[in-house]
Amino acid sequence: MTERPPAFDDLVGDDLAPGERERLQAVHELLLRAGPPPELPPALEQPPTVEAGTLIPFPRRYRFTAVAAAAAIAVVLFGAGYLLGGSGGSPPPLRTVEMRGAGGATASLAVFARDDAGNWPMELTVSGLEPLPAGETYELWLTRGGELAEACGTFAVAAGTTEVPLNAPYRLSAFDGWVVVRAGTATPLLTT
Amino acid sequence: MDVALCTALPSDLRAASITFVSEPSPTDGELIARIAARDRFAFEELHRRYARAVLGFALRRIPDRGRAEDATQDSFAAVWRSASTYDPARGPGAPWLYTVARNVIVDALRRSPAATVADPPELASGEVEPPEQAEASWLAWRVHRALTVLPEHERPVIELAYWSGLSQSEIAEFLHIPLGTVKTRTRSALARLADELEGELR
Repeated sequence: MTERPPAFDDLVGDDLAPGERERLQAVHELLLRAGPPPELPPALEQPPTVEAGTLIPFPRRYRFTAVAAAAAIAVVLFGAGYLLGGSGGSPPPLRTVEMRGAGGATASLAVFARDDAGNWPMELTVSGLEPLPAGETYELWLTRGGELAEACGTFAVAAGTTEVPLNAPYRLSAFDGWVVVRAGTATPLLTT
Repeated sequence: MDVALCTALPSDLRAASITFVSEPSPTDGELIARIAARDRFAFEELHRRYARAVLGFALRRIPDRGRAEDATQDSFAAVWRSASTYDPARGPGAPWLYTVARNVIVDALRRSPAATVADPPELASGEVEPPEQAEASWLAWRVHRALTVLPEHERPVIELAYWSGLSQSEIAEFLHIPLGTVKTRTRSALARLADELEGELR
């Protein structure tokens, strides 16, 4: 902590109501007692990588049998999957956000695991939005505090249901919602 | 499938107001419940709120900064693993998280006793924390957590005033804002912290 702690009167002036003055002074003293929070090194700016699943310990005597059975099942499932669906396939989304709008318009935004570059791949499935004239688009935005905060992409829709791949290079926890607007406007057509 | 492009929009649209999509921030307890359901966004948010508080707590117990940082990461990994054990009926999320972090830090001290040779004698076991030190740790934890609720334009004013030794005029000069703005932001930030720390002020 600094050797020159701030004087409370210098910080807040002398025109506070007595009750409020007492309340702020109590906070002032807590700040002095707590001391500064440490600076986070870059390695701690993101939470640790965690596994989606949880390991359930197996009794030791069954462990070999279980491992052998799991390996056999994995081989069978991999072979069946390869034959039926090819070698591709998408991982399941980490989170699916539902959005609704006027006139029965709906959207489902699937957010997948963040890639190594820090981007969140997403897939937006939209239905009920009217197709726009050529050259006009819709936009997906992240919102914070009730305001448009960051754009996540533009897209057009056809009649029926449209699937759109998008990408968000932001820290999603810093936002509190999503909206779809018509490009060039701020009127939300779909909201979370 | 259509192709989407991430494009920057005019700055005047960024400030457009859409009032009805705003929701109150989830409580710590709600975040922990969502983490139990494997919600990684909730995990990121809890980490944002508590990373500095956990590291500060670890540094109070583990003098070696590298080991304290490891204990901080281990604490959040433990939160992810054990979030399902959190029971909202038994209290809010902050004390639960504090307990998880304390257990991880104590375990870290137990695992590497040789590294604690330089510790004060009362901390050598890594298990017993004197009451006054425990109280100080909890107070710092709460205050450091509360600082994360401050808006980006208010937090630097508080940190510069309290922990950088700058006067209000020096802060104004440093941040390139009028002195009156510094005073307004300081009052606003202290009031916000008072709201957040209401339990501590009673």
